[in-house]
Amino acid sequence: MGTLSDSSGWPVHPSQLIVLLPALAAAVSLVLVRRARIPAFVVALLGALGGLAAAAQLLAQQLGGTAEASSATVGPLPLEPVLHAPMRLGVDRFAVLLAVTVAVVALVVQLVARWYLREDRRYAAFAATVSLFTAAMQLVVLSDDVLLTIVGWELMGWCSYLLIGHDSEREKARRAAYKAFLVTRLADAPFAIGLVLLATGAHTTSLSAIVRHWSGQPSTLLTGGLIAVIVGVAGKSAQVPFQDWLPDAMEGPTPASALIHAATMVAAGTVVLGRLLPLLERSDAARTVLVLIAGISTVLAGFLAYCQTDLKRLLAWSTVSQVGLMLLGLAIVPVGHRADLALNHLVAHAMFKALLFLVFGWISVLVGGTVVARMSGAVRAHPATRALVAIGLLSLAGVPPMAGFVSKDLIVDEAATRAVNGDGVSRIAFVALAFSVALTAAYCMRAWLILDHRSVVERNAALEIVEDSVTVQEVGIVELFVTSAQVDRRGREVGQPLVPIVPEPEPEPVTVVAPDAASRLGLRLLALLAVVGGLLVTTPLLSLDWNHPAWALIAATLLLMAAVAVFVRVQSLGTPYGDAAGRLPLTLRSVADRGLGMDGVYVALTRPVVALARLVAGAERGLETGVHSTARGARGLAGVGARLQNGTPTAGLVAVALGVVAVGLIGISLW
Amino acid sequence: MVAALLVAPLAPLLGGTALIAADRSRLRIATAAAYGVALTLAVVALAAALLAVWKRPGIDHSWVPAIGMRLHLAIDGISAPLVVLTAAIGVLVVLHAGWREPSATYLGALLMVTGGALATFLVQDAIAFFLAFELVLVPMWLLIARFGDTTRPGERDRAATMFVLYTVLGSTLMLVGILVLVVSAGTSDLTHLQTAHLSRSTQTVVAALLMIGIGIKIPIWPLHSWLPAAHTAAPTGGSVLLAAVLLKMGTYAVVRLVVFPLPRGLHAIAPVVAVFAVAGILIGGLVCLVERSLKRLIAWSSVAHMGFVVLALMTGTTLGVQAALYGNIAHGVISALLFVVVGGLKKRWGDDDLQTARRALRQVSPRLGLALVVGFAGSLALPGLAGFWGEVLTLFSAWSPGDRPLTLFRVLAVAAATGSVLAAAYALRVLRTVWAGTDSLPDVVTDGGSVVAQDAHAVEWIVIAVLVAAVVALGVWPTPLMHQTAYGLAHVSRVLVGGAP
Repeated sequence: MGTLSDSSGWPVHPSQLIVLLPALAAAVSLVLVRRARIPAFVVALLGALGGLAAAAQLLAQQLGGTAEASSATVGPLPLEPVLHAPMRLGVDRFAVLLAVTVAVVALVVQLVARWYLREDRRYAAFAATVSLFTAAMQLVVLSDDVLLTIVGWELMGWCSYLLIGHDSEREKARRAAYKAFLVTRLADAPFAIGLVLLATGAHTTSLSAIVRHWSGQPSTLLTGGLIAVIVGVAGKSAQVPFQDWLPDAMEGPTPASALIHAATMVAAGTVVLGRLLPLLERSDAARTVLVLIAGISTVLAGFLAYCQTDLKRLLAWSTVSQVGLMLLGLAIVPVGHRADLALNHLVAHAMFKALLFLVFGWISVLVGGTVVARMSGAVRAHPATRALVAIGLLSLAGVPPMAGFVSKDLIVDEAATRAVNGDGVSRIAFVALAFSVALTAAYCMRAWLILDHRSVVERNAALEIVEDSVTVQEVGIVELFVTSAQVDRRGREVGQPLVPIVPEPEPEPVTVVAPDAASRLGLRLLALLAVVGGLLVTTPLLSLDWNHPAWALIAATLLLMAAVAVFVRVQSLGTPYGDAAGRLPLTLRSVADRGLGMDGVYVALTRPVVALARLVAGAERGLETGVHSTARGARGLAGVGARLQNGTPTAGLVAVALGVVAVGLIGISLW
Repeated sequence: MVAALLVAPLAPLLGGTALIAADRSRLRIATAAAYGVALTLAVVALAAALLAVWKRPGIDHSWVPAIGMRLHLAIDGISAPLVVLTAAIGVLVVLHAGWREPSATYLGALLMVTGGALATFLVQDAIAFFLAFELVLVPMWLLIARFGDTTRPGERDRAATMFVLYTVLGSTLMLVGILVLVVSAGTSDLTHLQTAHLSRSTQTVVAALLMIGIGIKIPIWPLHSWLPAAHTAAPTGGSVLLAAVLLKMGTYAVVRLVVFPLPRGLHAIAPVVAVFAVAGILIGGLVCLVERSLKRLIAWSSVAHMGFVVLALMTGTTLGVQAALYGNIAHGVISALLFVVVGGLKKRWGDDDLQTARRALRQVSPRLGLALVVGFAGSLALPGLAGFWGEVLTLFSAWSPGDRPLTLFRVLAVAAATGSVLAAAYALRVLRTVWAGTDSLPDVVTDGGSVVAQDAHAVEWIVIAVLVAAVVALGVWPTPLMHQTAYGLAHVSRVLVGGAP
């Protein structure tokens, strides 16, 4: 480590390795390994471990104050004098913190993916894509250049396309992948334009220089650029109105979901806006747009999460809601402050959401699905998952002393303070936060009650009682069903001969290989971080005012959450699966399952485009035929000429006569 | 060193003529021998081109004094990447021809196109440039008309005729433009033309003539009608040369004959041409959304990509020309890859209709599948692949277009960005049906059986692998190529250097 820590003597800076090693792992895996499982895993693991080691190294340097603030990538692009394009990575405390977070999540995802996809033919491709995804996110995290940000940003979109469509044998997976890429790419267009605007105005693609350039001069152009960037962020982070790709993305294997939701892709928007925060703080219009998008998203998604009949989709909507919370944390920051609030929540969210997705994936393998009916009672039947689920949900709900509590409470605190001081944006944010906190508590409680439902145990116990009961055995109720005549609904005998009822064969006991020790260790690490992650605020990596908590506000928040929890518990009583949402009207639940029908809106929006495309294609066919026919016309004319040139005297005389007449007419008209 | 300059274009040109002549005569050389000779000549040309690019020699002799035409051959930072691209593509198409028993005439035509294109990029004289440019058309016509799609001969002949007639129309306009330019400037030397001072009205007229003439060859919408038909009918090698070499000659001609010598003329017509270029981006993208023939779809995507290149050129700034030159090379490599893959698929499938349900390519032929993914990802300008830099820098240049109408070019930048969304839609449309397959057919086990034997092997796989590597390399490491073109541009004082206010 002696040479490594001496960054000046070492040819490669750790910040470069953080990006390079996972990217190399992807390339090596794609070129050399191809289909073999174990080499693919080893390469992916080495990439992830190397990335984490480099991130840890950078963290040590940052804490020791020896980290170099910037490092080169492909070298400056020669675009002078129009653009200065240094193409450098920037290292600050945020970048370091996020790089470590991403590396940890990526490592655990690689560990679990090996178990989860143990029978998948394309595991090698999956592992390579996860590696590339990690590299792309690390590039966005560390980038100090607009071009590098766009590179990582769009590469992530591509990787998510590959991961969501991993099971491309299924039409649903293919469609979800297509939808995810197209929706985010649509938002990428304004994102790119916004960044191009900011960069060309500052004559540089360096993000820090862009921030310096525009800080001095608030203008409508700046506001426009920021709003365009915010629209792009809304696309990648699945905020309103682009939110609907994310729940569909659940078609991907669960480790992919964990990666997309926890540490990459959806979180990238917060990272980029965090870098541009000094500009955002100065533009009230952009802040208002952001607070509206994020506020609506967080409340709406929280509500939809509560209604879902598929618990994996519940988690997906909860991601939309939590990312909305992060973006609110950016919108309420006063001038001169940095993005600590949002990034703190990003880190906490990465830990508990990765944990929840991976554990839900584990449970879904055990119980054979993620719908409520399947998941009901799962943590009772499989106690190994119980503590992990509990920690994840408690942290998501924001119960003290979990990491989720600390990060969320600080955002609420700041919003309240600024709202009291008369900041309009913060007032909107505070209202949204209040709803969001209540809804989060509600859907977490609901998920727990479903997973912890007694009925499976009870049903088994009841079954045993029935089997033990002498009376039932004497009546021989089973034989009665088999031998007695069939009746219709009103009890009248059906005239047809008895169909012999063959009792269904007992289902083969499914033997599921439990996750290996490494995966479990990874999950425990995430659980540990989800608990103690709140301590992060005490480190120099974040500068937050954590030791003057507003006790009254915390008490009020906790009371609200407790009240909601009690309400959900009451609602869940007596429902078949302990599902509190079972009491909601069926139409509401089915509409919510379909994401309020946003998919239909998207499809409707594509229709005019396709119609226009058909129109244009038709017109182009016409143009092509027209151009063709000029050639045919020329050839035809030539043919006519050739036929006239048949050498007979009559034809020659006619031609001469016509020529004389024509020349005469021209002469007269010109006279 | 000087010999390298002459060998690079002449070896394939003369060798190609000899092969065709031998095939016509009673000699009738064996296929294997012809293949060996052609491959050797292509490699020699590549080696000579690389040597010339490395050493940068020059030849300047009087040739036809009566019209002031000189034998002036040289390489600068602007032509160097194109010379290497052309010579390398020349080797690849000849190599690829070995996949199916090639006739000596076919190989000869491939060599002649390569040699003619190399001559186009090497000559520094406007009239010689025109001659070299036209030299390519005949062997190209031969490739389409004689070796094109055998399933629909009528369509093929029509496409070949249209290709020749339409592009010769372009040539005529270009010739008129060049003659006016040469006569009014008093020199035909491209380096001297860069510093010639012409009146604004002359510049405008010449620039308009040249842009229409060259616009047919690039092609710029709405002068593109020959392209989809020609691409569909052409054999794989012909399609690759058409996309990777012929279209590049068009954009190169714009740089040499319009952007450098006629800055004020370009200033006058740039807004109009830029609007047409962006119309090409949008219309090309839209047509690709509904096009059923895979080869036609790629041809249409070429129209869209060349739209980006032309838009960047029309800004007339160093950044714009940089973006255009990069996009040019990137499109050459990506479209070459796509046409090799799709040509192979068409051979295997028997047609290239996207509506036919087929097994997932990623299962049936993983190598072709991977190449198709890389090709279309490059086509939608995915970062990390070659297409990205050209298109993203085009957005930058259109947003700060020097002394051009600011609002118009910014609107065009937004429209171009929308066009890249369309590119994503059609690229993924193809991947969804071809690469990921359809449900209606049963899944195939990949190991064993005759199915896997259909995957790319031997020369086809080598060609594909080289092109994939080039697409990735240009995407990951853009700096060397950009330094080349930047160095070339640094000597051209006439290019606008400024950006937006």
